[in-house]
Amino acid sequence: MTRADWLLLVAVIGCLPLLYTHFWSREGVARYLQVQEGNQPARIIDLAPDRELVLEGPLGASGIEIHAGRARFVHSPCPGKNCIQAGWLAAAGELAACLPNRISIQLRGLHPRFDAINF
Amino acid sequence: MSASSFRTGLLLCLLLVSGCSQSPELVRHRQFFALGTLIDITMYDIDGAAAEQAGLELEQLFMRMHADWHAWQPGILQETNRRLATLEDFPADPALLPLLDEANRLSRLSDELFNPVIGKLIALWGFHSDERPDGPPPDNNRILELVAQQPSVTDVTLHDGHLRNGNPAVRYDLGGVAKGYAIDRGIERLRARGIDHAIINAGGDLRAIGRHGERPWHIGIRDPRGPGVLAAIELGDDESIFTSGDYERFFDHDNQRYHHIIDPRNGYPADSATSVTVIHTDAATADAAATALFVAGPELWQTVARRMGIRYVLLIDRNGTIHMNPAMQQRVRFDTEPAAISLGEPL
Repeated sequence: MTRADWLLLVAVIGCLPLLYTHFWSREGVARYLQVQEGNQPARIIDLAPDRELVLEGPLGASGIEIHAGRARFVHSPCPGKNCIQAGWLAAAGELAACLPNRISIQLRGLHPRFDAINF
Repeated sequence: MSASSFRTGLLLCLLLVSGCSQSPELVRHRQFFALGTLIDITMYDIDGAAAEQAGLELEQLFMRMHADWHAWQPGILQETNRRLATLEDFPADPALLPLLDEANRLSRLSDELFNPVIGKLIALWGFHSDERPDGPPPDNNRILELVAQQPSVTDVTLHDGHLRNGNPAVRYDLGGVAKGYAIDRGIERLRARGIDHAIINAGGDLRAIGRHGERPWHIGIRDPRGPGVLAAIELGDDESIFTSGDYERFFDHDNQRYHHIIDPRNGYPADSATSVTVIHTDAATADAAATALFVAGPELWQTVARRMGIRYVLLIDRNGTIHMNPAMQQRVRFDTEPAAISLGEPL
């Protein structure tokens, strides 16, 4: 093998841990937010930059805060406020829904810990 | 080995490591609101166009079932209840009949702890609205009056496609079975399209078929009393997992919580369990069984589970003790070891 071959071999071996971490070990890391407004086609929202979204449902406007790769309901016209009480969504697969206002948000990623949550 | 083939081999190794990762395109989701909850369809290893078509078909199917079976909005179920109240024969609507049949069968199996004809009681408690406001519970005498009339599926007879009801207290509310039955119909549609790896999740209750590629489906069971997950479980090909809990629909009054799972024996919210999780092949049975075992509580759950053919149960009582049968214990992996476990007999 030439010297270049050896350098290439070292480079490939050096890259393997990075590739493993990137593609196989990022369980739960959220990549984007999926927003469902009524039965409209779902919207995909980037988790950066930090901002607040206003989503319109049949009861009025629901506020969604995106901050540091997380998301949560911050205000909602529904009477129960269960969506707000759900708090921050941080990991891929986590979901909060406002059924009366027909709005849901869910973090999506390549390797969610669970394919679905039973409750 | 030549230098060029060596380099090509190394680069292929790199591509293999990165390319074997799970592509996001392998998993497709479609969500919509129906049956009073969020429906989430997960499909694995299917192209985008096929997923879109399947999702659309299921959305239309669920919207139709939502309209037909709604307990307190105009539709086939409301019209059927109106005619049942006349105590006269009438032709059953074919869009509802199979579901009524299934609900009646499951009710009998459960010793009527799952009772789909206590709609009047459920309405009296205020749960025939999208969100029950906080306020006092109904008058005790009115509750006892309805309980004394003992509405039962045995009051309803079917012959030659006609229904007849012999008890004026009977009013169908299919909330304890319709979601499961709908999921079963949805799975049939997916299979008819050649989709063999999927989950239909209706507000946290779900049926899974096939696998997620090389591994089984991974499901988290949410902690009924806190944030996060209580336990993890893997579902085999074609299993449903349903949970009934006191946290799903409720209202508070004078520091007392009243939830929506009414014990048909006394007319009050069942109070000996906080949640019950069951696994069964078909979703309708799992749905009704979760309700029946919640009402049965820690004393009776094993008897009712055997009657209903349920092989896997996890019940949390109001003291936080987890009751399970041994087969269920072997399948669940708790995130935090529970403080107390009561292991039942094999089912």
